[in-house]
Amino acid sequence: MSEFKIAQREKDAVHVLELKGYLDAHTAPALEEAFQTLLKNQRFNIVVNCKDLSYISSAGLGVFMAYIEDVRKNNGDIKLSNMSPKVFNVFDLLGFPLLYEITKEEQDAVKKFHPGK
Amino acid sequence: MASPSSSYEGHFEHSALFEFSTVINSSFDLQFILGHILLTIMGKLLSSRGAAVLRGADGTYRCEMVKGIPSGVGECALAIRTLPRGLQYIERINAQRHPWVKYFREQGLEILLPLRSESGPIGLLAFGKRGTHQRLASRETTYLRSLGNIAATAIDKCRTIAELKVVNRRLDRKIQELNTLFDLGKEFGAVLDPDKLVRLLVFSLMGQVGVHRYLVCLKDGGDMRIAASRVDGPVPQPELLSILTKVKVPVTVEEMIVTGATDPRPVLGSLGLHAVVPMALQGQIRGVIVLGEKLNRDPFTSADFEFLSALGSLAIISLENARLFKEAIEKQRMEDELLIARDIQKGLLPSVLPVVPGIDIAAANFSSKQVGGDYYDVVLLDEHRYIVAIGDVSGKGTPAALLMANMQATIRALVPLQLSLSELTARVNNLMCQNTGGDKFVTFFWGALDHRNRTLRYVNAGHNHPYLLHGDGSMERLDKGGMILGVLETLIPYEEGEVVLREGDLLVLFTDGVSEAMNPANQEYGEERLEAMVRGSGDQGARALIEAIHRDIQAHADGAPQSDDITMMVLRFLASSPGVR
Repeated sequence: MSEFKIAQREKDAVHVLELKGYLDAHTAPALEEAFQTLLKNQRFNIVVNCKDLSYISSAGLGVFMAYIEDVRKNNGDIKLSNMSPKVFNVFDLLGFPLLYEITKEEQDAVKKFHPGK
Repeated sequence: MASPSSSYEGHFEHSALFEFSTVINSSFDLQFILGHILLTIMGKLLSSRGAAVLRGADGTYRCEMVKGIPSGVGECALAIRTLPRGLQYIERINAQRHPWVKYFREQGLEILLPLRSESGPIGLLAFGKRGTHQRLASRETTYLRSLGNIAATAIDKCRTIAELKVVNRRLDRKIQELNTLFDLGKEFGAVLDPDKLVRLLVFSLMGQVGVHRYLVCLKDGGDMRIAASRVDGPVPQPELLSILTKVKVPVTVEEMIVTGATDPRPVLGSLGLHAVVPMALQGQIRGVIVLGEKLNRDPFTSADFEFLSALGSLAIISLENARLFKEAIEKQRMEDELLIARDIQKGLLPSVLPVVPGIDIAAANFSSKQVGGDYYDVVLLDEHRYIVAIGDVSGKGTPAALLMANMQATIRALVPLQLSLSELTARVNNLMCQNTGGDKFVTFFWGALDHRNRTLRYVNAGHNHPYLLHGDGSMERLDKGGMILGVLETLIPYEEGEVVLREGDLLVLFTDGVSEAMNPANQEYGEERLEAMVRGSGDQGARALIEAIHRDIQAHADGAPQSDDITMMVLRFLASSPGVR
C-alpha cells in the first residue's frame, strides 16, 4: 500500500505542510482533510513543501484545485516549493504553474507572503 | 577595395565557416539561429536587408525574420510551389512561374539563397543590394552556398528537436492520463461508498483537466440526480439536466445540438460550464459530467474528450458495482430475515400434536421457498373437548408470519372463555380487523370435537371446505360459517355447523397450497385430484395419508417451485369408545 504522510508546522505566520510519499487517489483524502482543517482554523497562508513527495497523481492535484479558490477568497494562497523534477513535470504538464506559485526553496515561498520584508 | 591573396581568403573563409557552424549548432533556439545566419550573410555581402522565410509543416512558407525591412515579406503564407535551385538573383527568376517573387522585389531584396536539407526544402534567405554594388564572384557564391547548407541543417535539426519536444510533451500527458486512469481504477475497485467515488472522480477531473467548475449528474432510475457540483450560481433543476442524457458523445456546450423545446445551453453558459461528457455503461447513458473552462483556457480537444469518456466509464462502472454490491448485501439480509421468519412460523406450529383418544390425528406443513402464513393447531378445550384449527393468512413473508403468530395468540387466549365457536369466531374476527387495518385477511376453519357425543361443531370462515368422508363412502364438505377474518368487523353472526362422527370417518383439512399446487405448465393440482386421494385412502392412517397426498402433489408439481405453503391435517375416527383416556 502506498505511504503518504503530512507534517505540519508554522513559520512566520505561514502554515507549512510537508508532504511525504505517494499522493494518489488512495491518499488524496488525507490531504483534503488537512486543507479542510486549515480552512476551519482560519489558516489561509499555506506553503506546501514537496521535498519528500515522490509521486503525485491527478487526484492529488485535484485537491489543490478544490481548495485554492476558498483560500484566495480569504486573501490567502497555497504556494508550492521544493518539487523534484519528476513531480514538477506533472504539475507543469497539467498547466498548474499558471495558477500556482511554485518556488525552488520553501523560504522563498514563505517570503512571498511578506512582500514588505 | 584591396584584393588579398586567394590563399589567405580561403583560410579566412574556412575558419569563418567553422565558427559559423559552431555558433549556430550550439543553440536550439530558432530565432537565435536565424538572426545569426541573416547577420552573418548580410555582413559578408555588405547588404542592409535580409529576410528568412521558412517552410511550415503544412507546406506553406512564412516570413520568420527580417533585418532592415520594416514589415515582413508577404502578408501571410507565401504560395511557393517549388523552391528555385541554387543561389539566384531575384530579377532573373521568372515571375510568371513564381508569382511570389514580387513580394521580395517589393522589399528591395535581390539575392535569394534557397535552403535545403536532406529531408527536403527548408525555406529561403533573401538579401538586399550589396553595398559594393558588385556581382557575386563564383567564390562568394560557393561560400554562400556552404553557409546556406550549414544553416539548413541547423534549422532542420532545431525544428526536429522542437517537434520532438512537443511530441514528448504530448506523450508525457498521455502517460499521465493513463496513470490517472490506472490510479483511479485501482482505487475505485476498493471503494464501495458512492459519495467517496464521486469525490475522487471530481478530484481527478480538477487535477487532470484543470477545471474549477463542474457538475456530476447520475441517473437514479429515470431521474437525474446531482451528485457533486461547483458552479457560478444556483444548481439547475434536474429536469433541465435530464436533457443532457440525450447527449451521446462528448461535446462542447457551444456545439451541442438541441432538439427539444427546452434549451439548456443558456443556463449551462451562465453557470460557467463549457463541455458535456456522457457517462455510459453498455451503451446506456447513466450520468453526465459537465465541465467549466480549463485552467489554461484552452478549448476542449478530442484528446480531452477521449480521456474524459474513459474516466466517466470507469467511474460509472465502479458506481454500478458499488450499487450491485449494496443490493446483494440487502438481498442477503432480506433472505436471512425470511429464514428467521420461517423459523418463527415453524416454531409456532405445534411440533407434537396432543394425543386424542379414539382419533388418529396428524398434521404437516411443507414450506415453500417464500414464507407463507399457514397455520394449524390442536388445543385442549376441556376434558371432553378439543379444538382443531387450520388457517391461511394472506400474503407472504414476514408480515404473514407475524399475523399468523398474532392469530395463534388470539385463539389461544380466547378459547378458554367458554363461549360458543360462533361467538369466539366473531371476536377473533374483530381483533384481527383491528390488528390488520383491513389490508390482510385470514381464511380459517375450526371445530370443537366433543368425545361424549362424538360431534364436531365447526365454523368455516372462508376457508377451503374440509372433506368429511364417512365410513359408508358418503362425503360431506364442511362449509357452514361466514366471512373470512380480518376484513370487516363482525355484523352477521358466524353460523355453526355440526356433524356426527362415526367409526371409520375421515376428516381432511387443507390449505389452498394443496389444491393450487402448480406444475411446470402452470396447472393446478385441483380439488378433484385431492378428493380422489381422500376417497381412495382405504384404511390408511392419518400420517400415511398426508404423506401419500404430499407425494401425489410432488408428482404433479414435477419439480416446479411452489409459491405457497402446503398444510394438511387429517383425523381418522377409530373404533375405540369415546371418552376413554
